[in-house]
Amino acid sequence: MNKFLGNKTAILIFIIPALLLYTVMVFYPIAQTFFRSLYDWDGLTEGNFIGIENYTRLFQDDLFFTSLKNGLIFAFIITITQIGIGSILAFAIADAKFRGRKILRISFFIPVVLSITVVCQLWLSIYNGEYGLINKVLELIGIQYRQDWLTDSKAAIIAIAFVNAWQFMGYHFVLLLAGVKSIPEQYMEAARIDGATKLQAILKINIPMMAETYKFCLVFAITGGLNAFANMYIMTSGGPGTSTYTLTYLMYRSAFRVGEFGYGSAAAAILVIECLIATLIINRFIARERITY
Amino acid sequence: MSRFIKQSKSKVIMSTFLWVYAILSVYPLVWMIFYSFKNNDEIFVTNPFGPPSQFRLDNYITAWSQYNVPVYFMNSLIVAVATVVGAILLSVMFSYAAARLRWRFSKLAHTYILIGMFIPIQVIMIPLAILVRDFNLANTYGALIVPYITFNISFSSMVFYGFFRSVPIELEEAACIDGASIYRTFFNIMLPIIRPALATMVIFIFLNSWNEFTMAVMLIVKESLKTLPLGLLFFQGQFTTDWGAMGAAMTIASLPTVIIYVLFSEQVENALTVGSAVKG
Repeated sequence: MNKFLGNKTAILIFIIPALLLYTVMVFYPIAQTFFRSLYDWDGLTEGNFIGIENYTRLFQDDLFFTSLKNGLIFAFIITITQIGIGSILAFAIADAKFRGRKILRISFFIPVVLSITVVCQLWLSIYNGEYGLINKVLELIGIQYRQDWLTDSKAAIIAIAFVNAWQFMGYHFVLLLAGVKSIPEQYMEAARIDGATKLQAILKINIPMMAETYKFCLVFAITGGLNAFANMYIMTSGGPGTSTYTLTYLMYRSAFRVGEFGYGSAAAAILVIECLIATLIINRFIARERITY
Repeated sequence: MSRFIKQSKSKVIMSTFLWVYAILSVYPLVWMIFYSFKNNDEIFVTNPFGPPSQFRLDNYITAWSQYNVPVYFMNSLIVAVATVVGAILLSVMFSYAAARLRWRFSKLAHTYILIGMFIPIQVIMIPLAILVRDFNLANTYGALIVPYITFNISFSSMVFYGFFRSVPIELEEAACIDGASIYRTFFNIMLPIIRPALATMVIFIFLNSWNEFTMAVMLIVKESLKTLPLGLLFFQGQFTTDWGAMGAAMTIASLPTVIIYVLFSEQVENALTVGSAVKG
């Protein structure tokens, strides 16, 4: 048996393709990102080693701080709305015994399977200043207020964040629902017998016991928000002006538009560090004491 | 009695909330499908909200014949299918070796592959673009297929690993005694056993690669290679007035994923929750 399962040729045939591809296309590029962030590099030539100059330049660049701030705003909005609404929906559905639950679940989740291009362009037409759905609804109910949501430099980032929040709420809903269902029935029963209200049971039993699920949702929403790119690329191209830049957008523009690959790499490196810090903080504060069944 | 009324009241509030959110979640999509069947007059003036007064197919004909939609559709299909095949093959082989075969460093190799799940693609985009160029993959389907395969290996290896671990060892022993080779055991015995996992991952990877945007926008320039998420950007900009054709093209692009999800909603949701259990 040992010989059968220890067949060296077979093992090599099985593992080499995946390991090779993964090392070349994932691991090597990570090292390159950090390495190249120390270069003045146009992506074509050898490049010049300039030490930490790209980083010092970043920290003097107003655009970098705008990007950093937008990433935080974006992450904050999607975290609050997706996890907040997702939790309410998950608790309500887990409790509900009426018909149509399946339709509700599918309705909540459908935006997740759409392409981000479709979602963003759909919302471009919803936000449209003249013919958009929102303004049409306002007109219908007799409110004169008109707004071209994406051309206001303060409101634009919030409007974009809500598009992402709308699209991926269903993802958090499904995760949280699975979390609710994994809690053994007897805990809820015990709470009921002790006379706890539904709300008390949710706050004191469900939520603490779902700490791991919440941790994952938080990591996913926050790092997803900090990494945001496609939404602004499609909806505003970073505008109006530079008001909806994020770090990924900054990286994209530096490398693929302006040809400053070194500078772009430095922005990417900061992004990794930012996501790493966020993940560490979340892990530090949640599930300090693990609950075992 | 009062408690009973109070409870039913909160139930009504809850179910109202659920249905209101469901409408919020689906209506924009329905609205898009509606306007894909309308003419501009109906979209902008006479009937912006409701279903079309008559189902006009003009927009679909325009989208299909004038906006390259068939090309993008085929590209998406080719890239997604190739990614599914490649990623499943590589990860199922790797995870079988990591989970069942006996070799030193198998744990280490497994962990090494899993780390990939925590790496945001944005972070490695620049070196990846250079690699794609250096390997002469630029302006071929390979520019998307190879990175997509690689990025799906980590997650699917993790799922398959779990499944392989749960298969009893007696199966392999029996196969060994009967004189089957390790390859035969793998293809004829192990793969059929993990078929549920294979089905879940096929759907999951297909959806992922059909909708992938960030890598595509940085790696593909050539018009004839654009996938749907890129190709549809043709309509970008707030001043487009051909909403009908835009809606039609977007409806066509969304159909495959929506149908797959509605048919296999449980598998899709399972795939996501399996991921969270380990990632968190």
